[in-house]
Amino acid sequence: MDGKRILMIDDDPDYVSAIKMVLEKANYTVEVAHNPRDGFDALEHSAFDLVILDVMMGRGAEGIIAARKLRKKKELDKMPVLMMTGIREQTGFFFVGDPRHETYLPVDGFLEKPVAPDVLLREVSRLLEKSATDESMKKE
Amino acid sequence: MSNRHTVLIIDDEEVVRDSCTHILKKGNYRIETAEDGEKGLKMVEDLKPDIVFVDLKMPGISGMEVLERLSKIDATIVSVVITGYATIDSAVEAIKRGAYDFLPKPFSADELRLIAQRAIEKRMLLLDAIALRQEKEMIRENLTSIISHELKSPLLAVQQNLFALSQGVMGEPNPAQKEALQRIENRVDALLKMINTWVDLTSLDFRQLRERFRPLDMPALISKVVDMLRVQAVSRDIEVVTHCPFPVAPVEGDEGTLLEVFMNIIGNAIKYSENGSRVSVKIEERDQELHILVSDRGIGIEKEDIPFIFDDFYRGRAQSRSSQVGSGLGLTISRRIMKAHDGSIAVESEPGKGSTFTVVLPKRTDKKGTDREPRVSKQSVM
Repeated sequence: MDGKRILMIDDDPDYVSAIKMVLEKANYTVEVAHNPRDGFDALEHSAFDLVILDVMMGRGAEGIIAARKLRKKKELDKMPVLMMTGIREQTGFFFVGDPRHETYLPVDGFLEKPVAPDVLLREVSRLLEKSATDESMKKE
Repeated sequence: MSNRHTVLIIDDEEVVRDSCTHILKKGNYRIETAEDGEKGLKMVEDLKPDIVFVDLKMPGISGMEVLERLSKIDATIVSVVITGYATIDSAVEAIKRGAYDFLPKPFSADELRLIAQRAIEKRMLLLDAIALRQEKEMIRENLTSIISHELKSPLLAVQQNLFALSQGVMGEPNPAQKEALQRIENRVDALLKMINTWVDLTSLDFRQLRERFRPLDMPALISKVVDMLRVQAVSRDIEVVTHCPFPVAPVEGDEGTLLEVFMNIIGNAIKYSENGSRVSVKIEERDQELHILVSDRGIGIEKEDIPFIFDDFYRGRAQSRSSQVGSGLGLTISRRIMKAHDGSIAVESEPGKGSTFTVVLPKRTDKKGTDREPRVSKQSVM
């Protein structure tokens, strides 16, 4: 997985640098955008293998809107998206089980902040491998 | 002038309208009149009166219909019906339909003033109650979102950086540094957990909870919980044994929150158990109830702590001495959830020997609806 390019969209620079260090130590190249607009800019101008997306940026759950927008873009709809957030499930209480709704959150992976470095690396490589397999299946 | 209350009088008799106006004029009221229901209702839209006097017997639309349409326009407007003694039955009927009071004809000036005064007070109370409810809701929502984001974000940044440090991303820390980092991580983790639990606690809406009730098989729910806690138990060589006479009667409840209750109680039992010991979960039917007993052979709870363990943020002294850190909110939430299920939680404990938590849930009764009834119709009734 050496040299894979990851774009992290998250508005907290202190949080980002902790994640960036872990990913870079594992030989990933990480670029950062501090809001969804800059994120989409970066995606337009260069190629990435994975997007790590925060939920609460600025005034609300902008990450969710960004994830939906990403899925609507033809050239980006296969991009693996790992959502990483400190907020609990929107619907109210539930913390037991998988906090992801397929229809609500169109993402490939979901991690609750803070994330243990080994859990993060495992999830990132799982998503990258899955995306590579999907890609090669498409070619065949 | 703005604190003057507006009174609308709808009566076909001119003498009634005039005498009411005359009597109430001395009070701090703005008085408007209408001679029939249609006209009166039209005036309500612009006037936004505090109280409306409505004659029950009028040509055109009836007083009853006026009442009904009035409550559709604004349910907080307080209505009083004016009626002759002969129609006292209809006054009672009007009150059943939402009128606040009635004024029997003929009436004295004092009677009218008193009824108007009481109606105004009622209106003010209604408005205050609504304002308070809105305010409470706003505070709850704001506080929850402020806490969940503003307070958590810095802690998350701290914790994520600590993880990077302790994992040696910036160079391997020496053993003493590693130990210090671990201590900091533990405390930050406890703080984050406390915030999460607090957010969950404040966002629990019990009225919503009841709408999600459905028949539940407790043994299945318990085994789900035990399954989820397996890793935790196995890592400390603790055996979780479930005893259940099969099958037991279903209960009526919300699966998500009941899972949380048992995650909490069985999780606690594991957490406070000695390594290599056993936690037992017994499900028993007793009359109209299901009793679920969770016992551990752990550190137990001091006698003087027992009355407080279900209170917010309370943590027993045994706990504060041990290495286990909790939020101090798990049992509070559990108790509230049980209350919403018409159930209860109780505890018996002996320090050093262990504790038994007993959760009681009422069995599902037939009158709550049987399986033959489609769930949709049940919801629409509610």
